[in-house]
Amino acid sequence: MNATVYEPVRQSVEVPVGQVEAFDVFTQETGSWWPLRSHSIAGERAVDVFFELHPGGRIYEVDSEGSQHDWGRVVECDPPKRIVISWYPGHPESEATEVEVVFQDVGDGTKVELEHRNWERLGEKADMYRGSYDQGWVGVLSLFAEKARR
Amino acid sequence: MAYSDAIEALADPTRRRVFEKLRKGPSSVAALASGLPVSRPAVSQHLRVLRDAGLVSDQAEGTRRIYQVEPEGLLGLREYLDSFWRGALDDYASHVRKKGKGG
Repeated sequence: MNATVYEPVRQSVEVPVGQVEAFDVFTQETGSWWPLRSHSIAGERAVDVFFELHPGGRIYEVDSEGSQHDWGRVVECDPPKRIVISWYPGHPESEATEVEVVFQDVGDGTKVELEHRNWERLGEKADMYRGSYDQGWVGVLSLFAEKARR
Repeated sequence: MAYSDAIEALADPTRRRVFEKLRKGPSSVAALASGLPVSRPAVSQHLRVLRDAGLVSDQAEGTRRIYQVEPEGLLGLREYLDSFWRGALDDYASHVRKKGKGG
């Protein structure tokens, strides 16, 4: 295993709205933009996503039968600036990685910076995982690939 | 290894099932085929594609070949997390922009 594997995944995007709106759309209207079909546990059957905006609050998707599937838990919440999530879609919570989303005022808009980190937590369990650390993602990513190939 | 090979290999639903079964532990073709609605030759074919994509490896054990998940092959999936979040953030941004125009 080489160390770079555990580098955080970082992505950012700028949106032409203020911090408050950027934060609200991200956390309270998630289901209206999140690519649920490709980025969810229930796939085609996923219908919405909910964030409970307080430390310890759940993040979960709801499928067409009303079943809930946990994605993670809010660790820190500082609206409209920042949210830290313990992230474990498709995993037990003990195998969580961490996602931090920072909303930065850049004058004429908001820069949304996302960092997905703590991969080494999975590395510590490498034997157990033997490649299954992406559990929950493989199916999602494969669906994504199927879609992309059409 | 070209990471797209792994994604391509896993894009096939049956192959994905073969792979997911293997993640529970090393297995022979016969054992894999017994729980799947496909023939042994078909399972062998799927395993070959998975092996070529670097996702599984095999070794001889007596007269059988035992297949197992290749963790290194899966590490490349991490790169795909980049595109995972990229896709999510792009969808987020276009939603915000669309809303802005509408309101």
